[in-house]
Amino acid sequence: MAGRLMLVVKDLHKIYDDGTHAVKGLSFSLKQGEIYGLIGPNGAGKSTTLRMIATLLKPTKGMINLNGIDVVKEPFKARRMIGYLPEEAEVYTRLTGREHLLFYAKLYGVENIENTVKYGAEISGLGDKLDRKAGEYSKGMKRRLLLALVLMRSPQLAILDEPTSGLDVYASVRVRRIIKEYVARTEHSVILSSHNMLEVEYLCDRVSFIINGKIITTGSPSELKARYNALNLEEAFVKAVEEHGET
Amino acid sequence: MSFTSDLRVLLWKELLDLYRDRRTLFTSILLPLISLPLIGFMGIALVEQQPVLVAVVDLDDSTVRNELLNITVSSRWLVGNTTKILEKLGYNVTISHSINVVKNPDIDVALIIPRGFSRNASSLNCTARVKVLRRAGVQAAIRAESTIYSIINVFSRNISDAKLNAVIQLLGLNATIPALRNPVTARTEVVGISGQPVSRAVVLRNAFARILVLAFSFVVTPAASYVIDGIIGERERKTIELLLASPTTPQRIIYAKLVAATLLGLITALADIIGLVVYMVSVSIVSGVPFGVIIDPLLLVLHSLTAFFTILSTISIALPFITRTRGIRSASNIVSLVTIVALVFFFTGFFVDYIRLPNEILVPLYLIPFTHSILVIQGYVLGYISRALIHLAVLSIASVALLVIASKTIDTEKLLIAPL
Ligand SMILES: Nc1ncnc2c1ncn2[C@@H]1O[C@H](COP(=O)(O)OP(=O)(O)O)[C@@H](O)[C@H]1O
Ligand SMILES: [Mg+2]
Repeated sequence: MAGRLMLVVKDLHKIYDDGTHAVKGLSFSLKQGEIYGLIGPNGAGKSTTLRMIATLLKPTKGMINLNGIDVVKEPFKARRMIGYLPEEAEVYTRLTGREHLLFYAKLYGVENIENTVKYGAEISGLGDKLDRKAGEYSKGMKRRLLLALVLMRSPQLAILDEPTSGLDVYASVRVRRIIKEYVARTEHSVILSSHNMLEVEYLCDRVSFIINGKIITTGSPSELKARYNALNLEEAFVKAVEEHGET
Repeated sequence: MSFTSDLRVLLWKELLDLYRDRRTLFTSILLPLISLPLIGFMGIALVEQQPVLVAVVDLDDSTVRNELLNITVSSRWLVGNTTKILEKLGYNVTISHSINVVKNPDIDVALIIPRGFSRNASSLNCTARVKVLRRAGVQAAIRAESTIYSIINVFSRNISDAKLNAVIQLLGLNATIPALRNPVTARTEVVGISGQPVSRAVVLRNAFARILVLAFSFVVTPAASYVIDGIIGERERKTIELLLASPTTPQRIIYAKLVAATLLGLITALADIIGLVVYMVSVSIVSGVPFGVIIDPLLLVLHSLTAFFTILSTISIALPFITRTRGIRSASNIVSLVTIVALVFFFTGFFVDYIRLPNEILVPLYLIPFTHSILVIQGYVLGYISRALIHLAVLSIASVALLVIASKTIDTEKLLIAPL
């Protein structure tokens, strides 16, 4: 697992136009083949951080380096290596699942469109439903289609913002399996955010607890449990927050 | 990836989505297709088709011959001529020999030929008087009345011709009838700029052009709402973030939407034209002017091109505001400020010949692209072909320049995050 460094983030800040200081000096790194999780409550700054890595927001301060590329200076170069699943993404209701795959394969200018769409179809697990309008899909099916759009190009870094939020147990399990299989198959890296501790324990090699725009601790799920003498990650998180003195 | 291949992929998605959006397509096409001919029909056809009942009351009912002049006058001829012409023009005519008929409330106009008419009309020292009764407040009756007046004029002139001829012959004069009856004449001619008199066909063509100008207002509105929905709607429906994260630029995403909107506008313009042509065909049937004389294919081509650039400039002006508003509603409010300006121009273009405005008024108006849209159509129809083409060139350059300026204001973060 201990591959070379894929992503390095240093002293990242974001202050929105209205003055909200959403991210206050985050620093972390991510190795190749690693699944890394940003764990924290709503409003902690997870989405803001992931959007900055995905080049959608400009950092107020700080450095993001992806595979030797300065993401802030060369966003369009970085985007080709990145697959980003937004927290609240939706499908085009009037297009079919297959048309979505085709559209994004072409938009990214992939070399082999046919194979890419085929792989995307496989990831989505939608089968026959792929030729139906996406507006008819269930929430879980939509999320799987969106995940397929992101992963079918085999991006070196997949950024998944709360990939299972709003899904029921079965749909969540399927999505987690897709993520695990993707990393096993490609040895690429994933950074995800979540506030579901169970999910994080199952998926992530390493996690950071984030609160009020700051990372308070980082480690593997088992390290963190041991460090805070906790039975599970939830307990570890609560203890970490108390120790840090924030609420 | 290159600009064109990006744009092609984005446009493919936009058009596929639009093609499946039957409701938008349907309303954009059906609205002008129905409303434009309706405006025309309500305006002209219905008014003209109001039934008008005319009574011709012949109390004289006689034929008198003047032996000295060698002429004959019969009240029945006037009755016959009047009836024939009025019926041909679509009026209902009833003939009577009793004055009681005018008590019938259905009668809008009555022509009364009094006793002694033929005798007086054929004499050398009396005038025959007929009376026209017209019901007050009936618009169509005024037209029947003026028709009757012109029939009587012609009838009177014919008798006058015969009388003058007879007198000239009796006296053995070397004289002509016009020299005796109208020693001085004056005449007004309505002319185009080449100096030829204007025919009814040209008048109809001008009317067609006026409606074409009005039709621009039907085109800009659906195109503008499509752009709003395309940009703000994608944000509200949460499909824009995935798109913005792709390696294409936000400018190209917007360009694809503008092109799709403009194509939708062109489809609307086409529906406009079909609606107008249907209307003009019916006008040509009613007026008897051949259809081909009214409708000029080159004019339709100019209309489509002008519509294209008019839409492009409208949405380019609106774009910086659209991308900076919170929701579809506030975007619509701001865009309607732009489209209302457009509507004001196109509505006044329906009544005012912009091309005739004095320069001190017209030149400042050149700053507004819609002025050029109007001048393309009006210039062409009034015969200023090269001026029309210059205005089309100005309009196209201005709309592309506006688009380039507008696209400089687009940025990913502003598209993604709704202002508070
Ligand atoms: N567009 C924005 N403008 C101003 N403040 C924002 C904006 N988006 C998020 N925030 C604020 O930034 C903080 C972090 O938000 P976010 O990154 O969405 O947190 P998380 O994803 O961890 O729930 C919150 O306080 C949120 O209210
Ligand atoms: Mg979030």
